[in-house]
Amino acid sequence: MEVTCENLGLERHGLKVLRDIRCVFKPGELTAVVGPNGAGKSTLLEILAGVLVPSSGRLTFDSRDAEKLPAAQRAQICAYLPQAETPAWSLSARDLVALGLLPWGRRGEDAERIARALKTVDAQPLASRPVTQLSGGELRRVQLARLMVGDAPLLIADEPTAALDIRHQLQLMHSFRQQADAGKTVLLALHDLALAARFCDRVLLLQDGHLRAQGAPEDVFTPALIGDVYGVSCEFRWRNGVADFVPLDLL
Amino acid sequence: MPRSLPIDTNNLALWLLALALPLALIAALVSGPVSIDLAAALQQGWRGDGSDAVILWQLRLPRALLAILIGAALGMGGAAMQGMLRNPLAEPALLGVSSGAALAAILLLYYGLAWQSGWLLPVLAIVGAFVAVACVWMLAGRGASASRLVLAGVAINAFLSALMALALNYAPSMFAMQEIVFWLLGSLANRGWDQLLLALPFILAGAVLLFSARNYLRALSLGEASAASLGFRGHRYPLLVLLGIAAAVGAAVAVAGTIGFVGLVVPHLVRPLVRQDPGRLLWASALAGALLLLLADILVVNFVGAQELRIGAVTAFIGAPFFFWLIVSARRGQGS
Repeated sequence: MEVTCENLGLERHGLKVLRDIRCVFKPGELTAVVGPNGAGKSTLLEILAGVLVPSSGRLTFDSRDAEKLPAAQRAQICAYLPQAETPAWSLSARDLVALGLLPWGRRGEDAERIARALKTVDAQPLASRPVTQLSGGELRRVQLARLMVGDAPLLIADEPTAALDIRHQLQLMHSFRQQADAGKTVLLALHDLALAARFCDRVLLLQDGHLRAQGAPEDVFTPALIGDVYGVSCEFRWRNGVADFVPLDLL
Repeated sequence: MPRSLPIDTNNLALWLLALALPLALIAALVSGPVSIDLAAALQQGWRGDGSDAVILWQLRLPRALLAILIGAALGMGGAAMQGMLRNPLAEPALLGVSSGAALAAILLLYYGLAWQSGWLLPVLAIVGAFVAVACVWMLAGRGASASRLVLAGVAINAFLSALMALALNYAPSMFAMQEIVFWLLGSLANRGWDQLLLALPFILAGAVLLFSARNYLRALSLGEASAASLGFRGHRYPLLVLLGIAAAVGAAVAVAGTIGFVGLVVPHLVRPLVRQDPGRLLWASALAGALLLLLADILVVNFVGAQELRIGAVTAFIGAPFFFWLIVSARRGQGS
Protein backbone atom coordinates (compact mmCIF):
# COMPACT_ATOMS: atom_id res chain seq x y z
CA MET A 1 0.00 0.00 0.00
CA GLU A 2 1.58 3.25 -1.11
CA VAL A 3 0.50 6.16 1.05
CA THR A 4 0.92 9.67 -0.29
CA CYS A 5 0.50 12.84 1.73
CA GLU A 6 0.09 15.95 -0.41
CA ASN A 7 0.36 19.15 1.61
CA LEU A 8 -1.59 17.67 4.52
CA GLY A 9 -2.55 20.16 7.18
CA LEU A 10 -4.79 20.33 10.22
CA GLU A 11 -6.16 23.36 11.98
CA ARG A 12 -7.61 23.09 15.47
CA HIS A 13 -9.18 26.00 17.34
CA GLY A 14 -7.55 28.36 14.85
CA LEU A 15 -4.14 26.82 15.50
CA LYS A 16 -2.20 25.10 12.74
CA VAL A 17 -1.12 21.90 14.47
CA LEU A 18 0.11 20.38 11.22
CA ARG A 19 0.97 22.04 7.92
CA ASP A 20 2.25 21.14 4.51
CA ILE A 21 3.19 17.54 5.13
CA ARG A 22 4.49 16.08 1.89
CA CYS A 23 5.75 12.52 1.92
CA VAL A 24 5.29 9.04 0.48
CA PHE A 25 5.29 5.75 2.39
CA LYS A 26 6.05 2.70 0.27
CA PRO A 27 5.22 -0.97 0.78
CA GLY A 28 8.07 -2.83 2.43
CA GLU A 29 9.21 0.28 4.23
CA LEU A 30 9.43 0.72 7.98
CA THR A 31 9.21 4.43 8.74
CA ALA A 32 9.77 6.17 12.06
CA VAL A 33 8.00 9.45 12.79
CA VAL A 34 10.13 11.31 15.33
CA GLY A 35 10.18 14.77 16.86
CA PRO A 36 9.89 16.56 20.21
CA ASN A 37 6.67 16.48 22.28
CA GLY A 38 3.96 18.45 20.56
CA ALA A 39 5.60 18.30 17.14
CA GLY A 40 2.48 16.76 15.60
CA LYS A 41 3.48 13.08 15.39
CA SER A 42 0.24 11.72 16.86
CA THR A 43 -1.84 14.16 14.82
CA LEU A 44 -0.22 13.00 11.60
CA LEU A 45 -0.79 9.35 12.49
CA GLU A 46 -4.42 10.05 13.44
CA ILE A 47 -5.01 11.66 10.04
CA LEU A 48 -3.47 8.68 8.28
CA ALA A 49 -5.59 6.28 10.36
CA GLY A 50 -8.80 8.16 9.56
CA VAL A 51 -9.43 9.28 13.14
CA LEU A 52 -8.99 12.95 12.18
CA VAL A 53 -9.99 14.56 8.89
CA PRO A 54 -7.30 16.87 7.47
CA SER A 55 -8.37 20.48 7.00
CA SER A 56 -6.17 20.87 3.93
CA GLY A 57 -4.23 18.73 1.48
CA ARG A 58 -4.87 15.28 0.17
CA LEU A 59 -4.17 11.77 1.40
CA THR A 60 -4.16 8.86 -1.01
CA PHE A 61 -3.85 5.09 -0.62
CA ASP A 62 -2.51 3.62 -3.89
CA SER A 63 -3.67 6.85 -5.61
CA ARG A 64 -7.25 6.49 -4.27
CA ASP A 65 -8.45 9.44 -2.21
CA ALA A 66 -8.52 8.19 1.39
CA GLU A 67 -11.29 10.54 2.51
CA LYS A 68 -13.57 9.18 -0.21
CA LEU A 69 -13.12 5.55 0.81
CA PRO A 70 -16.02 4.08 2.81
CA ALA A 71 -15.01 3.85 6.49
CA ALA A 72 -15.36 0.06 6.52
CA GLN A 73 -13.07 -0.33 3.51
CA ARG A 74 -10.54 2.07 4.95
CA ALA A 75 -10.45 0.05 8.17
CA GLN A 76 -9.44 -3.00 6.12
CA ILE A 77 -6.55 -1.02 4.66
CA CYS A 78 -5.17 0.58 7.79
CA ALA A 79 -4.74 -0.81 11.31
CA TYR A 80 -3.94 1.72 14.01
CA LEU A 81 -2.90 1.66 17.65
CA PRO A 82 -3.18 5.01 19.47
CA GLN A 83 -0.69 6.19 22.05
CA ALA A 84 -3.03 5.48 24.94
CA GLU A 85 -5.79 2.92 24.59
CA THR A 86 -7.68 2.07 27.75
CA PRO A 87 -9.99 -0.92 27.46
CA ALA A 88 -13.41 -0.14 28.95
CA TRP A 89 -14.26 -3.70 29.99
CA SER A 90 -12.17 -6.51 31.40
CA LEU A 91 -12.25 -8.56 28.20
CA SER A 92 -9.83 -11.43 28.03
CA ALA A 93 -6.64 -10.69 26.08
CA ARG A 94 -7.86 -13.11 23.41
CA ASP A 95 -11.18 -11.28 23.01
CA LEU A 96 -9.41 -7.92 22.83
CA VAL A 97 -7.17 -9.17 20.03
CA ALA A 98 -10.26 -10.49 18.22
CA LEU A 99 -11.56 -6.90 17.97
CA GLY A 100 -8.77 -6.27 15.47
CA LEU A 101 -10.68 -8.58 13.11
CA LEU A 102 -13.89 -6.50 13.23
CA PRO A 103 -13.25 -4.80 9.84
CA TRP A 104 -13.34 -8.24 8.20
CA GLY A 105 -16.50 -9.32 9.96
CA ARG A 106 -14.81 -12.29 11.55
CA ARG A 107 -15.35 -12.90 15.20
CA GLY A 108 -13.91 -15.48 17.54
CA GLU A 109 -13.71 -18.22 14.91
CA ASP A 110 -10.28 -17.09 13.82
CA ALA A 111 -8.61 -18.56 16.90
CA GLU A 112 -5.52 -19.65 14.98
CA ARG A 113 -4.85 -16.12 13.78
CA ILE A 114 -5.35 -14.66 17.25
CA ALA A 115 -2.98 -17.19 18.80
CA ARG A 116 -0.38 -16.35 16.16
CA ALA A 117 -0.70 -12.60 16.81
CA LEU A 118 -0.34 -13.16 20.56
CA LYS A 119 2.75 -15.25 19.90
CA THR A 120 4.32 -12.48 17.80
CA VAL A 121 4.36 -10.25 20.86
CA ASP A 122 5.25 -13.03 23.31
CA ALA A 123 1.83 -12.87 24.98
CA GLN A 124 0.36 -16.39 24.54
CA PRO A 125 0.39 -17.03 28.30
CA LEU A 126 -1.78 -13.94 28.77
CA ALA A 127 -4.53 -15.12 26.36
CA SER A 128 -7.16 -15.88 29.01
CA ARG A 129 -6.24 -13.09 31.43
CA PRO A 130 -8.61 -10.12 31.84
CA VAL A 131 -6.90 -7.14 30.21
CA THR A 132 -7.71 -4.90 33.19
CA GLN A 133 -5.43 -7.07 35.32
CA LEU A 134 -2.39 -6.84 33.04
CA SER A 135 0.62 -4.64 33.69
CA GLY A 136 1.17 -1.64 31.41
CA GLY A 137 3.72 -3.44 29.25
CA GLU A 138 1.67 -6.65 29.07
CA LEU A 139 -1.41 -4.71 28.00
CA ARG A 140 0.62 -2.87 25.37
CA ARG A 141 1.79 -6.17 23.91
CA VAL A 142 -1.77 -7.48 23.75
CA GLN A 143 -2.83 -4.27 22.02
CA LEU A 144 -0.01 -4.70 19.53
CA ALA A 145 -1.29 -8.20 18.82
CA ARG A 146 -4.69 -6.57 18.13
CA LEU A 147 -2.93 -4.23 15.67
CA MET A 148 -1.25 -7.08 13.80
CA VAL A 149 -4.02 -9.69 13.84
CA GLY A 150 -5.78 -8.54 10.66
CA ASP A 151 -4.79 -8.29 7.02
CA ALA A 152 -4.33 -4.52 6.79
CA PRO A 153 -1.46 -3.62 4.41
CA LEU A 154 -0.80 -0.41 6.39
CA LEU A 155 0.17 -0.62 10.07
CA ILE A 156 0.36 2.50 12.21
CA ALA A 157 1.38 2.52 15.87
CA ASP A 158 1.87 5.52 18.14
CA GLU A 159 4.82 4.98 20.47
CA PRO A 160 4.47 1.21 20.52
CA THR A 161 7.65 0.67 22.52
CA ALA A 162 7.02 3.26 25.24
CA ALA A 163 5.82 0.88 27.98
CA LEU A 164 7.97 -2.10 27.06
CA ASP A 165 11.10 -3.55 28.65
CA ILE A 166 14.25 -3.77 26.51
CA ARG A 167 13.68 -7.39 25.53
CA HIS A 168 10.15 -6.75 24.33
CA GLN A 169 11.21 -3.51 22.61
CA LEU A 170 13.69 -5.45 20.51
CA GLN A 171 11.27 -8.27 19.87
CA LEU A 172 8.58 -5.85 18.79
CA MET A 173 10.89 -3.93 16.45
CA HIS A 174 11.98 -7.23 14.91
CA SER A 175 8.38 -8.18 14.26
CA PHE A 176 7.57 -4.77 12.74
CA ARG A 177 10.68 -5.25 10.57
CA GLN A 178 9.32 -8.65 9.49
CA GLN A 179 5.92 -7.15 8.68
CA ALA A 180 7.61 -4.53 6.49
CA ASP A 181 9.82 -7.14 4.84
CA ALA A 182 6.65 -9.11 4.06
CA GLY A 183 5.44 -6.13 2.02
CA LYS A 184 3.43 -4.07 4.50
CA THR A 185 3.77 -0.33 4.95
CA VAL A 186 4.64 0.30 8.58
CA LEU A 187 4.67 3.66 10.38
CA LEU A 188 5.73 4.11 13.99
CA ALA A 189 5.92 7.23 16.12
CA LEU A 190 9.04 6.72 18.23
CA HIS A 191 10.91 8.61 20.90
CA ASP A 192 13.79 6.15 20.98
CA LEU A 193 16.07 7.46 18.24
CA ALA A 194 18.47 4.53 18.56
CA LEU A 195 15.67 2.03 17.83
CA ALA A 196 14.47 4.22 14.97
CA ALA A 197 17.96 4.42 13.49
CA ARG A 198 18.58 0.71 13.80
CA PHE A 199 15.33 -0.76 12.51
CA CYS A 200 13.74 1.81 10.24
CA ASP A 201 14.38 2.44 6.55
CA ARG A 202 13.25 5.99 6.74
CA VAL A 203 12.74 8.71 9.28
CA LEU A 204 10.33 11.65 9.29
CA LEU A 205 11.48 14.40 11.62
CA LEU A 206 8.64 16.73 12.69
CA GLN A 207 9.05 20.08 14.40
CA ASP A 208 6.21 22.43 15.40
CA GLY A 209 3.76 20.79 13.03
CA HIS A 210 5.89 20.80 9.92
CA LEU A 211 8.17 18.27 8.31
CA ARG A 212 11.71 19.33 9.16
CA ALA A 213 13.54 16.51 7.41
CA GLN A 214 12.98 13.08 5.92
CA GLY A 215 15.24 10.39 4.62
CA ALA A 216 17.47 7.53 5.71
CA PRO A 217 18.28 7.54 9.46
CA GLU A 218 21.96 8.28 8.85
CA ASP A 219 21.03 11.38 6.84
CA VAL A 220 18.46 12.75 9.29
CA PHE A 221 20.13 11.87 12.57
CA THR A 222 23.01 14.32 12.38
CA PRO A 223 24.17 16.07 15.55
CA ALA A 224 23.51 19.44 13.92
CA LEU A 225 19.88 18.70 13.00
CA ILE A 226 19.05 16.88 16.25
CA GLY A 227 20.67 19.72 18.16
CA ASP A 228 18.59 22.24 16.30
CA VAL A 229 15.26 20.41 16.66
CA TYR A 230 15.56 18.95 20.18
CA GLY A 231 17.99 21.47 21.68
CA VAL A 232 20.26 18.64 22.77
CA SER A 233 23.83 17.88 21.80
CA CYS A 234 24.28 14.23 20.91
CA GLU A 235 26.44 11.57 19.38
CA PHE A 236 25.51 8.78 16.98
CA ARG A 237 27.91 5.84 16.82
CA TRP A 238 27.37 2.94 14.49
CA ARG A 239 28.68 -0.46 15.51
CA ASN A 240 27.95 -3.41 13.22
CA GLY A 241 24.79 -1.74 11.97
CA VAL A 242 23.52 -1.07 15.51
CA ALA A 243 23.03 2.61 16.24
CA ASP A 244 24.24 3.92 19.54
CA PHE A 245 22.59 7.21 20.32
CA VAL A 246 23.94 9.20 23.23
CA PRO A 247 22.26 12.47 24.24
CA LEU A 248 25.06 14.54 25.79
CA ASP A 249 23.73 17.80 27.17
CA LEU A 250 21.18 20.55 26.79
CA LEU A 251 22.11 23.19 24.27
CA MET B 1 -4.05 -24.83 21.52
CA PRO B 2 -6.56 -24.89 24.37
CA ARG B 3 -10.05 -25.63 23.13
CA SER B 4 -13.06 -24.28 24.95
CA LEU B 5 -14.95 -26.85 26.97
CA PRO B 6 -18.08 -28.26 25.33
CA ILE B 7 -20.16 -26.79 28.19
CA ASP B 8 -19.36 -23.22 29.03
CA THR B 9 -20.70 -22.40 32.51
CA ASN B 10 -21.49 -18.84 31.41
CA ASN B 11 -23.51 -20.08 28.46
CA LEU B 12 -25.24 -22.50 30.81
CA ALA B 13 -26.25 -19.57 33.03
CA LEU B 14 -27.67 -17.76 29.99
CA TRP B 15 -29.65 -20.84 29.00
CA LEU B 16 -30.98 -21.09 32.54
CA LEU B 17 -32.10 -17.46 32.32
CA ALA B 18 -33.84 -18.21 29.03
CA LEU B 19 -35.50 -21.24 30.61
CA ALA B 20 -36.55 -19.26 33.69
CA LEU B 21 -38.47 -16.73 31.62
CA PRO B 22 -41.32 -19.03 30.48
CA LEU B 23 -41.49 -20.49 34.00
CA ALA B 24 -41.82 -16.98 35.44
CA LEU B 25 -44.49 -16.26 32.83
CA ILE B 26 -46.50 -19.26 33.99
CA ALA B 27 -46.04 -18.13 37.60
CA ALA B 28 -47.30 -14.66 36.63
CA LEU B 29 -50.39 -16.17 34.97
CA VAL B 30 -51.37 -18.40 37.88
CA SER B 31 -50.63 -16.02 40.75
CA GLY B 32 -52.53 -12.98 41.86
CA PRO B 33 -55.03 -11.75 44.42
CA VAL B 34 -57.74 -13.91 42.84
CA SER B 35 -57.05 -17.58 42.20
CA ILE B 36 -58.27 -18.77 38.85
CA ASP B 37 -58.71 -22.12 37.18
CA LEU B 38 -56.00 -21.83 34.56
CA ALA B 39 -56.99 -24.94 32.58
CA ALA B 40 -60.60 -23.82 32.30
CA ALA B 41 -59.58 -20.29 31.36
CA LEU B 42 -57.26 -21.63 28.67
CA GLN B 43 -60.01 -23.89 27.39
CA GLN B 44 -62.48 -21.05 27.14
CA GLY B 45 -59.97 -19.33 24.91
CA TRP B 46 -59.24 -15.75 24.04
CA ARG B 47 -62.88 -14.77 23.60
CA GLY B 48 -64.14 -16.61 26.66
CA ASP B 49 -66.39 -14.48 28.85
CA GLY B 50 -66.11 -16.39 32.10
CA SER B 51 -64.41 -14.34 34.83
CA ASP B 52 -61.38 -16.67 34.86
CA ALA B 53 -60.91 -16.28 31.12
CA VAL B 54 -61.20 -12.49 31.32
CA ILE B 55 -58.68 -12.34 34.17
CA LEU B 56 -56.25 -14.55 32.27
CA TRP B 57 -56.57 -13.13 28.74
CA GLN B 58 -57.39 -9.49 29.39
CA LEU B 59 -55.55 -8.79 32.63
CA ARG B 60 -52.74 -11.16 33.51
CA LEU B 61 -51.40 -12.13 30.11
CA PRO B 62 -51.03 -8.58 28.69
CA ARG B 63 -49.59 -7.36 31.99
CA ALA B 64 -47.03 -10.16 32.12
CA LEU B 65 -46.09 -9.67 28.47
CA LEU B 66 -45.77 -5.94 29.08
CA ALA B 67 -43.43 -6.63 32.02
CA ILE B 68 -41.31 -8.81 29.75
CA LEU B 69 -41.28 -6.23 26.96
CA ILE B 70 -40.49 -3.27 29.19
CA GLY B 71 -37.88 -5.15 31.21
CA ALA B 72 -36.20 -6.15 27.95
CA ALA B 73 -36.27 -2.57 26.65
CA LEU B 74 -34.82 -1.16 29.86
CA GLY B 75 -32.12 -3.84 30.13
CA MET B 76 -31.11 -3.45 26.51
CA GLY B 77 -31.17 0.35 26.72
CA GLY B 78 -28.91 0.23 29.76
CA ALA B 79 -26.48 -2.13 28.05
CA ALA B 80 -26.31 0.12 24.97
CA MET B 81 -25.85 3.23 27.08
CA GLN B 82 -23.04 1.68 29.14
CA GLY B 83 -21.40 0.41 25.97
CA MET B 84 -21.56 3.74 24.19
CA LEU B 85 -20.29 5.76 27.14
CA ARG B 86 -17.77 3.05 28.11
CA ASN B 87 -19.03 3.46 31.63
CA PRO B 88 -20.64 0.78 33.84
CA LEU B 89 -22.54 3.45 35.78
CA ALA B 90 -24.36 4.89 32.78
CA GLU B 91 -28.08 4.38 32.30
CA PRO B 92 -30.61 5.62 29.74
CA ALA B 93 -31.97 8.24 32.15
CA LEU B 94 -28.64 10.09 31.71
CA LEU B 95 -29.69 11.08 28.21
CA GLY B 96 -32.92 12.64 29.34
CA VAL B 97 -34.97 9.91 27.61
CA SER B 98 -36.93 9.09 30.73
CA SER B 99 -37.36 12.66 31.90
CA GLY B 100 -38.46 13.74 28.42
CA ALA B 101 -41.17 11.10 28.44
CA ALA B 102 -42.00 11.80 32.07
CA LEU B 103 -42.35 15.55 31.57
CA ALA B 104 -44.74 15.08 28.66
CA ALA B 105 -46.80 12.67 30.76
CA ILE B 106 -46.76 14.95 33.80
CA LEU B 107 -47.94 17.96 31.82
CA LEU B 108 -50.83 15.87 30.55
CA LEU B 109 -51.69 14.72 34.07
CA TYR B 110 -51.24 18.29 35.29
CA TYR B 111 -53.84 19.61 32.94
CA GLY B 112 -56.04 16.61 33.61
CA LEU B 113 -56.05 15.63 29.96
CA ALA B 114 -54.72 12.10 30.40
CA TRP B 115 -58.14 10.53 30.57
CA GLN B 116 -59.37 11.98 27.31
CA SER B 117 -57.99 8.96 25.52
CA GLY B 118 -55.93 5.98 26.61
CA TRP B 119 -53.53 6.63 23.78
CA LEU B 120 -52.82 10.27 24.36
CA LEU B 121 -50.44 9.94 27.30
CA PRO B 122 -48.15 7.20 25.95
CA VAL B 123 -48.00 8.74 22.47
CA LEU B 124 -47.05 12.16 23.84
CA ALA B 125 -44.57 10.56 26.24
CA ILE B 126 -42.80 8.85 23.33
CA VAL B 127 -42.71 12.18 21.51
CA GLY B 128 -41.26 13.72 24.69
CA ALA B 129 -38.50 11.09 24.80
CA PHE B 130 -37.51 11.81 21.20
CA VAL B 131 -37.60 15.58 21.73
CA ALA B 132 -35.33 15.22 24.78
CA VAL B 133 -32.81 13.12 22.86
CA ALA B 134 -32.92 15.52 19.92
CA CYS B 135 -32.14 18.40 22.33
CA VAL B 136 -29.22 16.44 23.80
CA TRP B 137 -27.92 15.68 20.32
CA MET B 138 -28.14 19.29 19.17
CA LEU B 139 -26.65 20.67 22.38
CA ALA B 140 -23.69 18.28 22.20
CA GLY B 141 -23.08 19.21 18.56
CA ARG B 142 -22.04 17.15 15.57
CA GLY B 143 -19.37 14.55 16.15
CA ALA B 144 -19.57 15.02 19.91
CA SER B 145 -17.50 12.75 22.11
CA ALA B 146 -19.26 10.47 24.58
CA SER B 147 -18.30 12.74 27.46
CA ARG B 148 -19.85 15.77 25.74
CA LEU B 149 -23.02 13.75 25.11
CA VAL B 150 -23.22 12.91 28.81
CA LEU B 151 -22.71 16.54 29.76
CA ALA B 152 -25.44 17.61 27.36
CA GLY B 153 -27.65 14.82 28.75
CA VAL B 154 -27.06 15.97 32.32
CA ALA B 155 -27.87 19.56 31.36
CA ILE B 156 -31.10 18.66 29.54
CA ASN B 157 -32.01 16.25 32.33
CA ALA B 158 -31.52 18.95 34.96
CA PHE B 159 -33.70 21.35 33.01
CA LEU B 160 -36.46 18.76 32.56
CA SER B 161 -36.29 17.88 36.27
CA ALA B 162 -36.69 21.56 37.11
CA LEU B 163 -39.80 21.71 34.91
CA MET B 164 -41.15 18.56 36.56
CA ALA B 165 -40.55 20.07 40.01
CA LEU B 166 -42.40 23.17 38.90
CA ALA B 167 -45.35 21.09 37.68
CA LEU B 168 -45.48 19.26 41.03
CA ASN B 169 -45.17 22.53 42.91
CA TYR B 170 -48.11 24.09 41.16
CA ALA B 171 -50.17 20.94 40.78
CA PRO B 172 -53.81 22.11 40.50
CA SER B 173 -55.10 19.54 42.99
CA MET B 174 -53.98 16.88 45.40
CA PHE B 175 -55.44 14.38 43.00
CA ALA B 176 -53.29 15.60 40.10
CA MET B 177 -50.22 15.62 42.33
CA GLN B 178 -50.88 12.06 43.45
CA GLU B 179 -51.33 10.97 39.86
CA ILE B 180 -48.01 12.54 38.93
CA VAL B 181 -46.11 11.02 41.84
CA PHE B 182 -47.58 7.58 41.21
CA TRP B 183 -46.78 7.84 37.54
CA LEU B 184 -43.18 8.73 38.40
CA LEU B 185 -42.93 5.60 40.54
CA GLY B 186 -43.80 3.41 37.58
CA SER B 187 -46.49 0.78 37.44
CA LEU B 188 -47.83 -2.02 35.30
CA ALA B 189 -51.24 -2.00 36.94
CA ASN B 190 -54.30 -1.54 34.72
CA ARG B 191 -52.24 -1.90 31.56
CA GLY B 192 -53.66 -4.03 28.81
CA TRP B 193 -53.29 -5.02 25.18
CA ASP B 194 -53.60 -1.40 24.05
CA GLN B 195 -50.44 -0.34 25.86
CA LEU B 196 -48.67 -3.50 24.78
CA LEU B 197 -49.48 -2.93 21.13
CA LEU B 198 -48.49 0.71 21.37
CA ALA B 199 -45.07 0.03 22.91
CA LEU B 200 -44.25 -3.08 20.88
CA PRO B 201 -43.35 -1.48 17.51
CA PHE B 202 -41.17 1.19 19.15
CA ILE B 203 -39.36 -1.30 21.33
CA LEU B 204 -38.84 -3.67 18.39
CA ALA B 205 -37.55 -0.80 16.23
CA GLY B 206 -35.25 0.28 19.07
CA ALA B 207 -33.97 -3.28 19.40
CA VAL B 208 -33.24 -3.48 15.67
CA LEU B 209 -31.31 -0.17 15.78
CA LEU B 210 -29.31 -1.21 18.83
CA PHE B 211 -28.48 -4.66 17.50
CA SER B 212 -27.35 -3.14 14.21
CA ALA B 213 -24.88 -1.04 16.24
CA ARG B 214 -23.49 -3.99 18.18
CA ASN B 215 -20.13 -4.05 16.42
CA TYR B 216 -19.76 -0.32 17.05
CA LEU B 217 -20.28 -0.97 20.76
CA ARG B 218 -17.70 -3.76 20.59
CA ALA B 219 -15.15 -1.51 18.88
CA LEU B 220 -15.81 1.19 21.47
CA SER B 221 -14.37 -1.15 24.12
CA LEU B 222 -11.04 0.15 22.82
CA GLY B 223 -11.95 3.85 22.86
CA GLU B 224 -13.26 6.32 20.32
CA ALA B 225 -10.05 6.74 18.32
CA SER B 226 -9.54 3.00 17.92
CA ALA B 227 -13.21 2.51 17.07
CA ALA B 228 -12.88 5.17 14.34
CA SER B 229 -9.86 3.37 12.92
CA LEU B 230 -11.81 0.10 12.96
CA GLY B 231 -14.35 1.66 10.58
CA PHE B 232 -16.83 3.24 13.01
CA ARG B 233 -16.25 6.92 12.35
CA GLY B 234 -18.61 9.83 12.11
CA HIS B 235 -21.89 10.48 13.86
CA ARG B 236 -23.89 7.73 12.18
CA TYR B 237 -23.28 5.08 14.84
CA PRO B 238 -23.79 7.19 17.97
CA LEU B 239 -27.00 8.48 16.37
CA LEU B 240 -28.13 4.91 15.72
CA VAL B 241 -27.62 4.05 19.39
CA LEU B 242 -29.31 7.22 20.65
CA LEU B 243 -32.36 6.68 18.45
CA GLY B 244 -32.49 3.04 19.51
CA ILE B 245 -32.43 4.00 23.17
CA ALA B 246 -34.99 6.77 22.67
CA ALA B 247 -37.39 4.41 20.89
CA ALA B 248 -37.05 1.45 23.25
CA VAL B 249 -36.75 3.22 26.59
CA GLY B 250 -39.05 6.08 25.58
CA ALA B 251 -41.81 3.62 24.74
CA ALA B 252 -41.21 1.70 27.97
CA VAL B 253 -41.46 4.84 30.10
CA ALA B 254 -44.47 6.01 28.11
CA VAL B 255 -46.61 3.00 29.01
CA ALA B 256 -45.26 2.14 32.46
CA GLY B 257 -43.84 5.33 33.95
CA THR B 258 -40.26 5.63 35.13
CA ILE B 259 -38.90 2.33 36.42
CA GLY B 260 -35.40 2.88 37.73
CA PHE B 261 -32.39 0.65 38.27
CA VAL B 262 -33.23 -2.04 35.72
CA GLY B 263 -31.10 -0.35 33.03
CA LEU B 264 -28.29 0.15 35.51
CA VAL B 265 -28.19 -3.13 37.40
CA VAL B 266 -29.07 -5.70 34.75
CA PRO B 267 -26.10 -5.11 32.39
CA HIS B 268 -23.80 -5.30 35.45
CA LEU B 269 -25.23 -8.66 36.46
CA VAL B 270 -25.00 -10.35 33.07
CA ARG B 271 -21.75 -8.81 31.81
CA PRO B 272 -19.61 -11.66 33.21
CA LEU B 273 -21.91 -14.18 31.50
CA VAL B 274 -21.13 -12.82 28.03
CA ARG B 275 -17.38 -12.50 28.67
CA GLN B 276 -17.79 -8.71 28.90
CA ASP B 277 -18.71 -8.50 25.20
CA PRO B 278 -20.78 -5.30 24.76
CA GLY B 279 -22.41 -6.79 21.64
CA ARG B 280 -23.78 -9.96 23.20
CA LEU B 281 -24.58 -7.96 26.33
CA LEU B 282 -27.48 -6.35 24.43
CA TRP B 283 -29.59 -9.46 24.11
CA ALA B 284 -28.39 -10.96 27.40
CA SER B 285 -29.49 -7.76 29.19
CA ALA B 286 -32.81 -7.82 27.35
CA LEU B 287 -33.37 -11.37 28.57
CA ALA B 288 -32.31 -10.67 32.16
CA GLY B 289 -34.21 -7.37 32.26
CA ALA B 290 -37.38 -9.11 31.11
CA LEU B 291 -36.98 -11.76 33.80
CA LEU B 292 -36.19 -9.25 36.54
CA LEU B 293 -39.17 -7.02 35.82
CA LEU B 294 -41.54 -9.97 35.48
CA LEU B 295 -40.41 -11.34 38.86
CA ALA B 296 -40.71 -7.87 40.39
CA ASP B 297 -44.24 -7.58 39.03
CA ILE B 298 -45.20 -11.00 40.42
CA LEU B 299 -44.09 -9.63 43.79
CA VAL B 300 -46.17 -6.49 43.25
CA VAL B 301 -49.28 -8.42 42.23
CA ASN B 302 -49.10 -10.74 45.22
CA PHE B 303 -48.27 -8.03 47.73
CA VAL B 304 -51.15 -7.51 50.09
CA GLY B 305 -51.54 -3.98 51.37
CA ALA B 306 -53.85 -1.02 51.51
CA GLN B 307 -51.98 0.73 48.69
CA GLU B 308 -50.76 -0.77 45.47
CA LEU B 309 -47.03 -1.46 45.69
CA ARG B 310 -45.38 0.42 42.80
CA ILE B 311 -42.96 -1.56 40.71
CA GLY B 312 -40.50 1.36 40.61
CA ALA B 313 -40.20 1.08 44.39
CA VAL B 314 -39.52 -2.65 44.09
CA THR B 315 -36.78 -2.22 41.49
CA ALA B 316 -35.21 0.52 43.63
CA PHE B 317 -35.14 -1.91 46.54
CA ILE B 318 -33.40 -4.41 44.32
CA GLY B 319 -31.04 -1.78 42.87
CA ALA B 320 -29.79 -0.06 45.99
CA PRO B 321 -28.54 -3.18 47.84
CA PHE B 322 -26.92 -4.22 44.58
CA PHE B 323 -24.75 -1.12 44.78
CA PHE B 324 -23.85 -1.85 48.38
CA TRP B 325 -22.75 -5.26 47.26
CA LEU B 326 -20.78 -3.79 44.34
CA ILE B 327 -18.84 -1.44 46.63
CA VAL B 328 -18.21 -4.10 49.28
CA SER B 329 -16.96 -6.60 46.67
CA ALA B 330 -14.68 -3.92 45.16
CA ARG B 331 -13.28 -3.24 48.65
CA ARG B 332 -12.66 -6.92 49.17
CA GLY B 333 -10.91 -7.10 45.80
CA GLN B 334 -8.60 -4.30 46.86
CA GLY B 335 -7.83 -5.90 50.20
CA SER B 336 -6.67 -9.20 48.80
